[in-house]
Amino acid sequence: MVEIVLRPSAPSTKTHNIPGNMAIWAAILSEMSEFAIMFIVYFLAKVHNPVLFSEGPARLSTMAGASNTVIMLTSSFFVVRAVIAMRENKPQTSVRWLWGAVSCGVLYLIIKYFEYEWNTAQGLSTETNIFYAVYYYVTFNHFLHVGWGTAAIVWVIYRLNTDIYTQEEHEGLINIALYWHMIDLAWITIFPLLYVIR
Amino acid sequence: MYNAHIKLINNLWMLLILLTLFSAYMAEQTTPGLLSVSIMAVVLGIKGRIIVDYFMELKESHIVLRGLMRLYFFVIPAMIILVYLYPEQIAKWTAL
Repeated sequence: MVEIVLRPSAPSTKTHNIPGNMAIWAAILSEMSEFAIMFIVYFLAKVHNPVLFSEGPARLSTMAGASNTVIMLTSSFFVVRAVIAMRENKPQTSVRWLWGAVSCGVLYLIIKYFEYEWNTAQGLSTETNIFYAVYYYVTFNHFLHVGWGTAAIVWVIYRLNTDIYTQEEHEGLINIALYWHMIDLAWITIFPLLYVIR
Repeated sequence: MYNAHIKLINNLWMLLILLTLFSAYMAEQTTPGLLSVSIMAVVLGIKGRIIVDYFMELKESHIVLRGLMRLYFFVIPAMIILVYLYPEQIAKWTAL
């Protein structure tokens, strides 16, 4: 059996150490709570409007939703590889992985823009019915998170390029990586709820 | 050490992509039912657990953070199944 040890020099307090710092975890837990409230609204609206929530996903583009899921998961993978590269003291490799993540973020935003345009062409809007109101509220909120998350990765790239981070100290990179994974987690939940489950 | 970890991360990413494509296929090809809804809920739980444990590296980290994040991906899939099974009961409980 292969044991995966991410930080060989880390102390043996493996049940108490924290990836990143407490500030980013406060932000992540706050954001996860915000999305949890949206998901509760979704479930409540669904049980009170079963027909609208059964028919709603069929008029959305499953292709757009699935494509953006693949893109978000791939961006998260790129971010993980960027962190691993930094631990191997390969900052330029880390930068390349991060540009990959930024490209995914931008591609996600472009696809989401055209998805909204496509919806509009079909006559769908926040006022069509409660399913689409929930859909636009949740997905636009996530859209904003992807936008500023992408900008934050660009900021980390700038700091990497100016040698602010080292192999031993790159907590800013870890924090943004964790935040980006949180954005990914929100999307992998949104995808089945709004696009898949009828 | 790093090579083994990179290989694990690469494989998990491919698994996540396959699970996503499987979900999209089910959305387009299957008739909604308890089995398909349960499968989609379980797929969501698996994907969330992979990201929490391996991408966020919480598998061997802070026990409370790990517990909270893992709990999220038990509760949401459970809610999906409960809402499918008992929509009228839940609607009755939550009516204003």
